[in-house]
Amino acid sequence: MEQQSLARRLIAKPEFGPFVLLLVEIVVFTSINPNFLSPLNISNTLVFTVELGLIALAMTLLMTAGEFDLSVGAVFGFSPVVMWTLFNQGILPLELAFVAALLLAAFIGFISGLFVTRLKIPSFLVTLGMLLVVRGTALFVTDGFPQRTWNAGDQWLATVLVGDLNVGPFRLYMSLFWFILVAVIFWYILSQTKFGNWIQASGGNPGAASARGVNVGRTKLILFMLCSAMAALAGIISSIRTSAANPNSGTGYELEVIAMVVIGGTALMGGRGTIIGTVLGVFILRVMRNGIVLIGVPGLAYNIFIGAIILGMMALHYGLERRHQAGT
Amino acid sequence: MTQDLVRMENITKFYGRVQALDNVTFNVKEKEIVGLLGDNGAGKSTLIKVLSGAVPSSSGSIHIRGKKVDINSTTDAIANGIETIYQDSALVTQLSIARNLFLGREPVTGPGILNRMDHAKMNQVAGDLLRRVGITKNIPTTTPISALSGGERQAVAIARAMYFDSDLIILDEPTNNLGVAETRGVLNFVRNARDRGHSCIFIAHNIHHVFQVVDRIVVMRQGTIVADDIDPKKTSVEEVELVITGMSDEELAAATV
Repeated sequence: MEQQSLARRLIAKPEFGPFVLLLVEIVVFTSINPNFLSPLNISNTLVFTVELGLIALAMTLLMTAGEFDLSVGAVFGFSPVVMWTLFNQGILPLELAFVAALLLAAFIGFISGLFVTRLKIPSFLVTLGMLLVVRGTALFVTDGFPQRTWNAGDQWLATVLVGDLNVGPFRLYMSLFWFILVAVIFWYILSQTKFGNWIQASGGNPGAASARGVNVGRTKLILFMLCSAMAALAGIISSIRTSAANPNSGTGYELEVIAMVVIGGTALMGGRGTIIGTVLGVFILRVMRNGIVLIGVPGLAYNIFIGAIILGMMALHYGLERRHQAGT
Repeated sequence: MTQDLVRMENITKFYGRVQALDNVTFNVKEKEIVGLLGDNGAGKSTLIKVLSGAVPSSSGSIHIRGKKVDINSTTDAIANGIETIYQDSALVTQLSIARNLFLGREPVTGPGILNRMDHAKMNQVAGDLLRRVGITKNIPTTTPISALSGGERQAVAIARAMYFDSDLIILDEPTNNLGVAETRGVLNFVRNARDRGHSCIFIAHNIHHVFQVVDRIVVMRQGTIVADDIDPKKTSVEEVELVITGMSDEELAAATV
């Protein structure tokens, strides 16, 4: 009896569906192509996964507070351009250029947040506008050309951010460590802290929250800044790893990131969020992208599978939510 | 008689050119449950909104225990010990009972920088509160509000007001959409709150519910108070209905034909 109710409680968790899906993906891909679980493939998959994952983690907090940010892909492309331009022109040393790029990204989030919280404009419209402004600026200042990054090799900052190390047969990048660290910190913030309670309340019922003295506007503003800064960090990490700061990079990432978050079980309209679910969502999409290529499905078919996953997972989450509302 | 807890003096409120409140003076005493009655548009909602900081009055003043206070927002009202409980809007349905009870005033434990909520304390106090307000069923305090019935939600909101020492708890239609047993529960919660020293303003369309719980009935009509000291023990429901509609028996009979 106890056992059964425990199993039932596990199944009712929003993370359960994504967890099963991820297992199914891994089992199916491995059974078709055993190379799927080879150290080389795992290492390759992890590299890019965690870069998008960093944005998805921050987006989870923002979406739990009831907002989202469509400009993260643009910031992902823009921030490395800023950093490398400042550095290459000899204006700032790399460390300061890095800090400046993060601050500028946080400022972009701050402006979006102001529009949303003060002018009460939906975040869809505000961040869509911001996407165009930021991407446009990146293209304008670079004339559309990538920035040089190849003198990054001997910089300690580059080593700390994306230095690689071999653990047994696996080749791991430092970015994986940052992803794990950020996931743990954000999980802690969302589920254990007072601020986390405010995040959930701001998304769930902003009127009730502010009547209780929760500063809903400031909570959202902080999260907009955090989300934008994380997009900048991810973009910079990516630029160092690929040795290119391309003003076009990150195009379309905002939708992939939001898909990762909602597949994991975070509510699009706010109030309910799960960091563990987002970690699963991140891996579900990246494993799918890697896996279907590996088993010989043309890469162009990728979106069909992603779309199907989103639809299936939404049906599951909303079904669970309704049962939850009904109190069963 | 006991002293006035809250006194609203000469409150007038215009919405554009429409006058919703006309020089209303209204008081609630310590440990008193006041039933506020009136037809739709009589002005009772506006009066409550002024008191709870949701809308500003056009003129007039509010005094708490004889001291004039400024209430310009719901936060001001809560800081002055006035808690308003609307049907559903006061709680975050996704959050647990304990998290709702302490929302905005979460106790923290450990080093300040960790900002960690004291879950143990929250759950323990929440459990005590639910019993104090009169919930007999054993509900885990980690249950999300969405899994609770309408009556239980009211109980959580009332419990929160009691815990944070709200002197005055305003209940706006607390028994709407509730079943018979649930309604009885909510009326009990209100009585418990009064017995523990809280005053209440009770607004409900169902006059019978009001009669079961209040100490004094105040009736509003067309933006003014037309009766402010009706004793429910000495007055019949029908008599109060007449005051609410402002019609004599014959007029009422003619109007309902």
